[in-house]
Amino acid sequence: MASTPSLEQAYLAQRERLLRFLRARGAGEAAEDLAQELWLRLAAAPDPVAAANPGYMLRAADRLMIDRYRAERQAASRDKAWAEAQPGLADNIAPAPGAERELAARQEVAAIERALADLGPRAAAIVRRHRIDGQTQRAIAAEFGVSLSTVEADLRRAYALIADARRALDEV
Amino acid sequence: MSGTKTTLSPIREQAIAWAATTRDPDFADWDGFTAWLEADPAHARAYDAVQFALEDADAVLAALPQLVPEPEAEPEPAAANDNPPSGWLASRRAWLGGAVAAALVLALTSVLWLAPSGGAIHETAPGETLTIALGDGSRVELAGGSRLAVEGERAARLEAGQALFTIRHDAARPFVLDAGATRLVDAGTVFDVRLAGETLDVAVSEGAVVVAPDAQAIRLDAGMRAVREGGRYRVAPVDPAGVGEWRRGRISFENAGLAEIAAELSRATGLVFTAEPGDTRLSGSIAVDAVRADPRALEALLGVSVRPQGEGWVIAAR
Repeated sequence: MASTPSLEQAYLAQRERLLRFLRARGAGEAAEDLAQELWLRLAAAPDPVAAANPGYMLRAADRLMIDRYRAERQAASRDKAWAEAQPGLADNIAPAPGAERELAARQEVAAIERALADLGPRAAAIVRRHRIDGQTQRAIAAEFGVSLSTVEADLRRAYALIADARRALDEV
Repeated sequence: MSGTKTTLSPIREQAIAWAATTRDPDFADWDGFTAWLEADPAHARAYDAVQFALEDADAVLAALPQLVPEPEAEPEPAAANDNPPSGWLASRRAWLGGAVAAALVLALTSVLWLAPSGGAIHETAPGETLTIALGDGSRVELAGGSRLAVEGERAARLEAGQALFTIRHDAARPFVLDAGATRLVDAGTVFDVRLAGETLDVAVSEGAVVVAPDAQAIRLDAGMRAVREGGRYRVAPVDPAGVGEWRRGRISFENAGLAEIAAELSRATGLVFTAEPGDTRLSGSIAVDAVRADPRALEALLGVSVRPQGEGWVIAAR
């Protein structure tokens, strides 16, 4: 893995800041290990110059914690489903679902669709543009001919609806 | 995990506000975000929960049309759904009909879906290639020993092997490919997908592709490649001109095991290659014709030994 010295230097310069972020983000005692994992991700980044940017590193650290949370949730639900599991599938592929699991997934899709429908077309389009196409909020505001604060408000409203939909399912 | 019940908890509102800004490519206030997280461990938990919900929603979002607001036309009859949602989505449900909706469910459960698909199935024998024209001007070039189910103009499922997709851009209808259990959503693109057991290799030569929008949501721009092995993704640069080079009779390996090399060679040449067990990993680029003409050419090309066995050839480390 050929990482340029400048990426390594940039990482080392930010290391304390990244560790502090990881701890604040809930890494606890695993912060050092996660910083190491973060370094591996940065070293494998397609654009080492971009990866040397502190904002990129912190974003990658946030991403790492998001992935970790998901992996923990999936591991927990997989353990729960183990009784009906089929062996031998890759570790990021859950066992074939029982009817119950599939029903839960269908309910989730329906709940998210409802949440998006409640948002109205502009906000839904803005969320999609932001999350899937990776557009900046500033660019979206220009594209849709609305103010930046309208884009922010649409996103917050969308996120609240989506998070509510998810929580309603988790609490059932 | 027992969260607070009130929907309007201030921590949750703040977590949502942060989630809405940290995602922005322009976001810079990481120290402010860190300070908020440090103020209370509950903050990180709330933020995690919000991010988790959002990632699940991405699978549904990715399948949404990139619509521009427009006056509602008269509502179309709802598709065969027990409980169609209200509002603008309902009127646009036709395209989000049975197959796509079912696939979304599967994407969310991350299950391996083995049932046969409803659409046309295209299959190539090892050593053979096939070009499939999709109705909208897009096309798929299918490599040897591969199997692709076409499910309408904007959806397909790669069940085995490798294919190069040249997809006409349509912002309103992203092309959705399921490669085994993993979903890819394109944004007007030329991209190559190789599926070998649990290994998935996606390389983009034009446009962009989102891999697993419901889970890792890895965005690959032109000149990027994602390889999933052992359940983990690795993203690396790739020469856009080299993407899909198998169509020109060349295949490349990067740090590949002998078994993978043997399987890929069998698929490309139509000859039968097997590998002796071992940990050897090799990189190299091979002209398929040369190997088809003389499998022993591999010895010089990859620095391995090759010997005939029965109808086929055995590759071993040297």
